Amino acid sequence: MGGGTRQNWNGAIKMSGAAIRLVCCGKTFADGTRALEPVNLEFDSGETVVLLGPSGCGKTTTLRIVAGLELPDPGGCVTFDGIDVTAVPIERRNVGMVFQSYALFPNMTVAQNVAYGLKVRGLSVSERELRTRELLTMMQIEPLADRHIDQLSGGQRQRVALARALAPRPRVLLLDEPLTALDARLRDTLRVEINRLLRSLGITTVYVTHDQSEAMALGDRVVVMDHGRVAQIGTPRQIYEAPATRFVAEFIGTMNVVRGEIHDGALHFVGGKLPVVNGGSVRQGEAMFRPEDLQLAEDGQPPHFGGRILVSLYQGDHTRIEIDVGNNRPIVARIAQRRDLKPGEHVHLMLSMPAILTPSNE
Amino acid sequence: MRKRGLAYWFLLALTLLVSAFLIVPVGMSILAGLTVNYFIGVESGLTLQWLAQVWSDHRHTVFLSLKIALACLFCTLLIGVPTAYVLARRQNAFTRALEELLVMPVAIPGLATALALIVMYGGMGDFRRSWSFILVGHVLFTLPFMVRSVLAVLSSIDLKTFEEGARSLGASFTQRFFGIVLPNCRSGILAGSLMVVTLSLGEFNMTLLLHTPLTPTLPVGLADAYASLRMEVGSAYTLVFFIIIIPLLVVMQWAAAPARIGTGQSR
Amino acid sequence: MFNTLLRDDRLWLVALLAPVAIFFIAFFLLPLGRLFLIGGSGELGWGAYVAAFTDPYYIRSLVATLMLSVSVTVVTLVISGFVGVFLQRNQFSGRALLTAMLTLPLAFPGVVVGFMVIMLAGRQGLIPDVTEALTGERLVFAYSMAGLFMGYVYFSIPRTILTVMAAAEKLDPRVEEAARSLGAGQWRVVRDVLVPGLKPALLSAGAICFATAMGAFGTAFTLATRINVLPMVIYTEFTLQANIAMAAALSFVLGAITWVALLLARTSAGRTVAAAG
Repeated sequence: MGGGTRQNWNGAIKMSGAAIRLVCCGKTFADGTRALEPVNLEFDSGETVVLLGPSGCGKTTTLRIVAGLELPDPGGCVTFDGIDVTAVPIERRNVGMVFQSYALFPNMTVAQNVAYGLKVRGLSVSERELRTRELLTMMQIEPLADRHIDQLSGGQRQRVALARALAPRPRVLLLDEPLTALDARLRDTLRVEINRLLRSLGITTVYVTHDQSEAMALGDRVVVMDHGRVAQIGTPRQIYEAPATRFVAEFIGTMNVVRGEIHDGALHFVGGKLPVVNGGSVRQGEAMFRPEDLQLAEDGQPPHFGGRILVSLYQGDHTRIEIDVGNNRPIVARIAQRRDLKPGEHVHLMLSMPAILTPSNE
Repeated sequence: MRKRGLAYWFLLALTLLVSAFLIVPVGMSILAGLTVNYFIGVESGLTLQWLAQVWSDHRHTVFLSLKIALACLFCTLLIGVPTAYVLARRQNAFTRALEELLVMPVAIPGLATALALIVMYGGMGDFRRSWSFILVGHVLFTLPFMVRSVLAVLSSIDLKTFEEGARSLGASFTQRFFGIVLPNCRSGILAGSLMVVTLSLGEFNMTLLLHTPLTPTLPVGLADAYASLRMEVGSAYTLVFFIIIIPLLVVMQWAAAPARIGTGQSR
Repeated sequence: MFNTLLRDDRLWLVALLAPVAIFFIAFFLLPLGRLFLIGGSGELGWGAYVAAFTDPYYIRSLVATLMLSVSVTVVTLVISGFVGVFLQRNQFSGRALLTAMLTLPLAFPGVVVGFMVIMLAGRQGLIPDVTEALTGERLVFAYSMAGLFMGYVYFSIPRTILTVMAAAEKLDPRVEEAARSLGAGQWRVVRDVLVPGLKPALLSAGAICFATAMGAFGTAFTLATRINVLPMVIYTEFTLQANIAMAAALSFVLGAITWVALLLARTSAGRTVAAAG
C-alpha cells in the first residue's frame, strides 16, 4: 500500500508508533454482559489495524481497552512497547482518539479544540500556536480556525477531530467508526484521504468499523470479530480470498455456499458440479466461491452448472444475477460480460477458479 | 473506568449530608407530633393525643383544602386542556404571548396576585367571603402546570397526522377531540393533575391574603398553629399535612423516575 | 371542501380559547391593571413607585432581599451542581432512595419549610443540641436572616437538583472521554467540559431559584415578622398599615424583578419551570 504525495504535510508527520500487545483481555460489564472473550492481539509499530465486525462483536470494547477507557477483566494485560500500561488511565496513556460523533468541545473554536491537548500538557502559547497551525494546514482546515463547532459540516468536524487527536503527538491513534456519521459520497472521499494520512504518519493506528470495504481499503491487517471473539486475523487479501470460518466468508463481501458430495476433484450437487481444492478424503462438504469468480459458459466450453435466472440487476459495469439451481439458496453471480440477462432465462455458468472447501460440521 | 478516589467519597459524604439536612427535620417533626412532651423528648412517651386534638380542632381546614384542590383540578382541566390543544395546533406570535401570560401568575409573587384580586373584587362581599375566592387564586397559579404538562405530551406525538387521518375517515371536530386527542394526552393529564392537586394543597402566599377566618385552608391553619400553639400540636398538624401530601409526591416521582435517572455507564 | 374544514377548525380553536381568555381577563389582567392604578392613588400618588427605590426603609428591604436571593442561588447551585451530577453519574444501592429524599421537599409550602428550620435551629433544635454538646453554647439562629437563608436553601435544593440531573443526563460522555484522551485530569474535565456543558441548565435553574427566593413569603412569615424582606414589608403595609397603595406599588416592583429574572431563564434554556413557594 504505497504512500500518497507529501504535498503540504512536511514536518507535521512522521510520529513514532508504539507496538501494542493485548494479552488475555476480556471484558464483562457490571450488568453481566460479556462483551469480549479473552483475546490476544499484537500490533506492530506503525501498523494500521482494522477491527471489523457487526455491532455487538466487541470491536469497540477492544478499542476502549487499548485506549484506557475500560479496564480488562482481571488477568488481562495491555502493553505499549513492552511496558505494562493496563493500570494507566487514558489521561496518561498519550493516545489520540477520534470518536464516532467526534466529541468536539462545543464551547471552543476549532483552533482551541485542536490546541486543547497541548494546553493540558502546559505548552507555551507560542508553541501551541505553532503546532496548531501545523495541524490545521495538514488537515486543510486553516480557514476554519476561528469558527465555532456548530458552524461546521460533518466532513469538517471530522478533520478537526483528527487534528485535535494528532496535535499532542500520540504514539497510538484510535478511531471509532469515524466515517459512519457521514453520507456515502463524503465517506468515499475521506476514506482515500485518511488512507494517505495514515500511510504517511507512521503512527500505530487501530481503526474500528463495520464496513468491510473500508476495512479492506485502510488496513494493513484486519481483525474480524464476532460475538466477542476473534474470527480471523490477516491481510485484506487473506481475509477475502481465504476466509477461515463461515462467518468471515459471509461477512466479507458475498459468498456462495453449496453443499454436496465430493469425489473426482469436484463437489457434486443438484445443479451440477464445482471444481474444488483438496477434494481429498472428505465425502460430504460445503464449497465456497465468490460471485465474481463465475462466468457465463461460452460456446464450446463445458459448463460447471446451470440454472434459471430469478433476479437480474444491471449495474453498468456488471450485471448481478441470482440463479435458482435447485438449492434452497440461489447462487449469486457477478457477470462482467456484456449480455442482456433476463429473469426466466436459463444460463450455464463456470467457475474460473476452484471453490474452497469448508469443513461440513461448521 | 471509575476509580473510587477521594473525590467520590467526598461527594458521597456531601450528598448524604444534604439528604440528611432535608429529611431529618421531617422526621423530627413527625416524631414531635407523636411525643407526649417535645421538650422532654421521646422518653416522655408516644401518643396520638396531639393528632386527635388537631383533628377535632382543625379538620375543617383539611376538608376545605381538599375541596379547593379538587375544584381547582376540575377547573384547570376544563380550562387548561383545550388551551393546551390550541397551543399544540398553532405556533405563532399570539400563542407565544398567551404562554407568557399563562406563566405570569407563577412568575410574580403570590402576594401581588392576591392583592390584585382583592382590590378588584374585595367589594363583592359574598364572593370575597367564599372559598371560591381562594379557588380563583389557585387556578391562576396552577393552570400553567396543567397546560405545560398536556402540551408536552401533545407536542411529542404527531398530532397533525393523527387528525388528518381521522379527517380522511370522516371524523368531525368533536369526534376527533374526544376520540383521538384526549385519549392520547392521558399521561399529560395525569401528571398535570397530580401537580395541580399537590400545588393547591400547599399554596400559602396567595391564600393568606385571600382567606377569611371563615375559610381557612390547611397551610393557613399550619401558620396559625406554629405561631400560637404548642410545638407538639404544630408538629401533629404538620404530620397530617405530610400524610396527605407525601403519597402524592411519591406517585409523582414514581411516574417520572425512569425518564430522569440515567445509568452513567459508558457503553 | 378542505378549505371549509380548515375554516371550521379555526372557529373551534378560537372557541376553545374562550375559557382561558375570559378567566384571565376577569381574574388577572383587569385586577392587575386596577392594582397598578391603586399603586399610584395613595398619598404619594405616582411617587409611590419612586419611593420604592428611594425611601431608605424600602431600599434596605429590597437590598436585603436581593442579597439573600443571590447568596441562596449561588450556594444552591454549587451544592446542587455537585450532588446532582454525582447522583446522575454513579450507580450504587440506595441511589433511588437518596434521590427521592432529596426531591421530597419540592411541594412543601414556605410555612412548612419555616417549621423545618425551627426543628433544626430553633430553641429546641437539633443544631443547638449539637453545638451545646460540642462547645457548651446553644446556637439558635432560626429567627434571623441565617435561619431564613437556611430555609430558602432548603426548598431551593430539590428544584435545582432535578434540573441539574436532567441536564447531566443529556451530556455526551464522549466529549469528556475526548478531553481525558488529550490528557485532562479530573478537575480539568470538570472545568473545561462539565461546567460549560451544564451552563445553560445552571443559568436557568439559578434564575428560577433567584425569582423564587425574591418572592418567597411563607418561610419569612413563619420565622418572624422581624425579618425585613420585601414580601414581608408588602404584607405588613397591607395588613398592619392599611397602606394599600404602597403595598401595591411594592408588589409591582417585586413582580417586575422576578418576571424579568424568569424571562432571562426561559430565553437561555428550555421549557422547564419549577413551582414557586
